[in-house]
Amino acid sequence: MASKTKKIFTLGVWQDNPVYRQILGICSALAVTNLMMNSLVMGLGLIFVTAFSSLTVSLLRNYTPKHIRMMVQTLIIAGYVIIVDIFLRAYYPAMSEALGPYVGLIITNCIIMGRAEAFAQFNTPFYSFLDGVASGTGYALVLLFIAFFRELLGFGSLFGINVLGAGWVNWTLMIMPPGAFFMLGIVIWITHRYLPSEEDLKGGAKA
Amino acid sequence: MAKKKGKPIVFPVVFMVLVAAVFTGVLATLNAVTIDTIREQEELKKQTSILYVFDQTIPADADALVAKYNEVISHGSSGDVDYYMATVEGQVTGYAFEFQGSGLWGTIWGYVAVTPEFDQIMGVDFIKHSETPGLGGRISEAWYRDQFRGISLDDAQQEFIIYKPAAGGNVDAVTGATLTSVSVKNMLDERLRELLANTKGAI
Repeated sequence: MASKTKKIFTLGVWQDNPVYRQILGICSALAVTNLMMNSLVMGLGLIFVTAFSSLTVSLLRNYTPKHIRMMVQTLIIAGYVIIVDIFLRAYYPAMSEALGPYVGLIITNCIIMGRAEAFAQFNTPFYSFLDGVASGTGYALVLLFIAFFRELLGFGSLFGINVLGAGWVNWTLMIMPPGAFFMLGIVIWITHRYLPSEEDLKGGAKA
Repeated sequence: MAKKKGKPIVFPVVFMVLVAAVFTGVLATLNAVTIDTIREQEELKKQTSILYVFDQTIPADADALVAKYNEVISHGSSGDVDYYMATVEGQVTGYAFEFQGSGLWGTIWGYVAVTPEFDQIMGVDFIKHSETPGLGGRISEAWYRDQFRGISLDDAQQEFIIYKPAAGGNVDAVTGATLTSVSVKNMLDERLRELLANTKGAI
């Protein structure tokens, strides 16, 4: 049991990371990573939605007719995204504003449906939940990593706290969309160069 | 039709309806529970915004803010235009009006305040927008909003907001968010023209 949990987390966070390995959730990874705080809240939102939608999909997996499962998954995901949206609007209005349309767009994040389709359908609720947490964490960590460099170079600050001092000349490029492309490209390049993928470890491609 | 392959139709429909009903129920409950908090937050934000456009100090404490708002601001309408009037020590210091227009992704709402003579902008604030966070979304940052204070208004002008470095420029646009900046300029210019033409002197 412990080894399965460990495997889920190494895969989701590291070896099979949704962003740099599966290249999923790229839209929001590019969009919200200009500030650490936005990335953190987006990451937490995604962890919540992925974990609970995987849990729900898994709970219903034996009752859901196979040919309408996509419809059911979309409905479940949409439900949890609205919960996040309402929660932010009621208790963190400033954050809800800062993230603007992206909270609603969590629903289009392929990671969630990807996990529901690839994992939650065939696994027990407990592991599905953990798998959602793991994938969400993988996503959040990559976002924070990218945001760290973008905010530091683009604004000279981290989490809104100025760390580079007044003498720092902001690299405006980093907070604009091209900065996100450069950073994400570098991250994917480095990870593909230095991290062995699951297929490499098994010594060959699987289907 | 799906029936030809022998796929069941009744159960999937019933199942879908049930799942949808459960989720709708949960969301409706959550909505009912939080609606008052959300309203309160929105009202607070609106009041903060109106005090800001009149360049009043904004108390950090929510209760003090509401008290100050009730003391300084009164609400009225002239024709079909709603306005907010600021009165400090018996003197009317200005009028604020709502404005809205389409930004890059969605509608931008905000307030603009002018002096009682309608010859200067006192302040501009945005209460709701869905612009790109970190780019167009930066219109709600203080350095951008603060630039609008004291811009002079004249009936003869067609444009009031002019982005630097154009001749006579009075406001810096947001870097990397040209479309949002231009939308803000256009919606403000349009609203101010209307106000100067129709509301000036009518309050």
